[in-house]
Amino acid sequence: MTIKTKSLTDGMEIEHTVGNVFADDPKMSMRNVDVFYNDKQAIKNVSIDLARNQVTALIGPSGCGKSTFLRCLNRMNDTIDICKIKGSLLLDGEDIYHKKMDPVLLRARVGMVFQKPNPFPKSIYDNVAYGPRIHGLAASKDDLDEIVVTSLQKAGLYKEVKDRLSSSGTGLSGGQQQRLCIARTIAVSPEIILMDEPASALDPIATAIIEELIDELKEKYTIAIVTHSMQQAARISQTTAYFHMGSLIEVGSTDHIFTNPSHQLTENYITGRFG
Amino acid sequence: MTTDLNITGHISKRYNEELEQIRYLVIEMGELVIKQVEDGLNCLLTSNTELAQQVIDHDKKINQFEIKIDEACTHIIATRQPAASDLRLIICIIKTITDIERIGDEATKLGRNALKIINSEQNPRQFNELKHLGDAVIANLHQAMKAYAALDIETALQVIEQDEQINIEFDNISRLLITKMMEDPREIKNSLRITWCARAFERIGDHGKNICEYVVFLVKGKDVRHISVEQIKQTLKDF
Repeated sequence: MTIKTKSLTDGMEIEHTVGNVFADDPKMSMRNVDVFYNDKQAIKNVSIDLARNQVTALIGPSGCGKSTFLRCLNRMNDTIDICKIKGSLLLDGEDIYHKKMDPVLLRARVGMVFQKPNPFPKSIYDNVAYGPRIHGLAASKDDLDEIVVTSLQKAGLYKEVKDRLSSSGTGLSGGQQQRLCIARTIAVSPEIILMDEPASALDPIATAIIEELIDELKEKYTIAIVTHSMQQAARISQTTAYFHMGSLIEVGSTDHIFTNPSHQLTENYITGRFG
Repeated sequence: MTTDLNITGHISKRYNEELEQIRYLVIEMGELVIKQVEDGLNCLLTSNTELAQQVIDHDKKINQFEIKIDEACTHIIATRQPAASDLRLIICIIKTITDIERIGDEATKLGRNALKIINSEQNPRQFNELKHLGDAVIANLHQAMKAYAALDIETALQVIEQDEQINIEFDNISRLLITKMMEDPREIKNSLRITWCARAFERIGDHGKNICEYVVFLVKGKDVRHISVEQIKQTLKDF
């Protein structure tokens, strides 16, 4: 059931992916991306768009390459010497792997939230203020205060911490720490937020709060999320991409993927028919 | 044409068992309701009051099946969060048992009307037409349950197609009974009761057709309700 599609924009052929990999209004466009760790190919000829102001969920079994692919989107793999990336990765038409692209500035535009909340061992205020300070985004203390408060508000954490902004960020609960990390990401005004299993270490209440937050954040940001929770992907994303052994098997609207997927491998995975 | 849709094959063997058990319960419920419809027709044809009363009494069994299967489906949804074909299966089952339960209600109507007709002074002579309609509906119902059990799209389409013939048959009987009522007003009471029986058979045919539409949805993931047979065929061809 392989559909061979052809890019309208760059003429590159995309094979082995079922469904429409092209978004009407893409924020990021990846074409024919290969990732190697030494000789081992972790990502095989993956092409996909991230639609602007939408949540795209990347799902698949452990080791399928979804996190590797996510980390390519803000060059987190640059620090791994044995990692080699081929293909085209464009952010608003701009090649993010171009030699003139500053990875630090790129990561300000494409922020990332990880599985385990990783606040700095600093105060809540300093955690959020860290990014704006190093990127010089605040002209004055008042500006910085405003960024911190706004970011905490957007992350849905402000009400809970407004009276203890000088307390340590590591003293917060797991769910609060994760929202602090989201506030820290938002503080540098990113365009895209990448999330790698952001709620897998959280209880159902904290998870629900994060999911609600993601739904609100998509109004301003483009979001890509890796998750092992099928229900979470079904709840929060508009597009779902299924990875299997380094290949992108199927891309489609989340409704379609979770009610009537086209590829047998997708069907097997989301219905729990293999590990 | 059976499907390669894999109902089992989950990593969790218990999940496989739970789904298989629900599917089996629906088949059992379907067999019981077909027996009810057959008995409903037979009690009319043989003027058997005992059988008519039995049809009325046995409807409770069908209602109990509906409750039991509903509970099992709720349990699956709550504990397994089914997706894709599993989700379609659960939706198909929940909707199918609603239709089966209503077929049971229609069979009860046959029993009730049979009791009234048998106990009346008039001896109606329109049972031949009713037998023809009833037999066609029962045959279609058997096919509908076969389509469900085997997830057989081809049989499902035949049932959907055949239902149009059943509707035509019902119209013919209605016309015949109206003529008889006009010819002899003493026949009106029983002719109306026979009309209601014919109507019950026609509705049973509709429910059988509904079940087959759910089978198409389950197997193909396409909602083919409220469209013509030609459109259904075209939809499946395009799919």
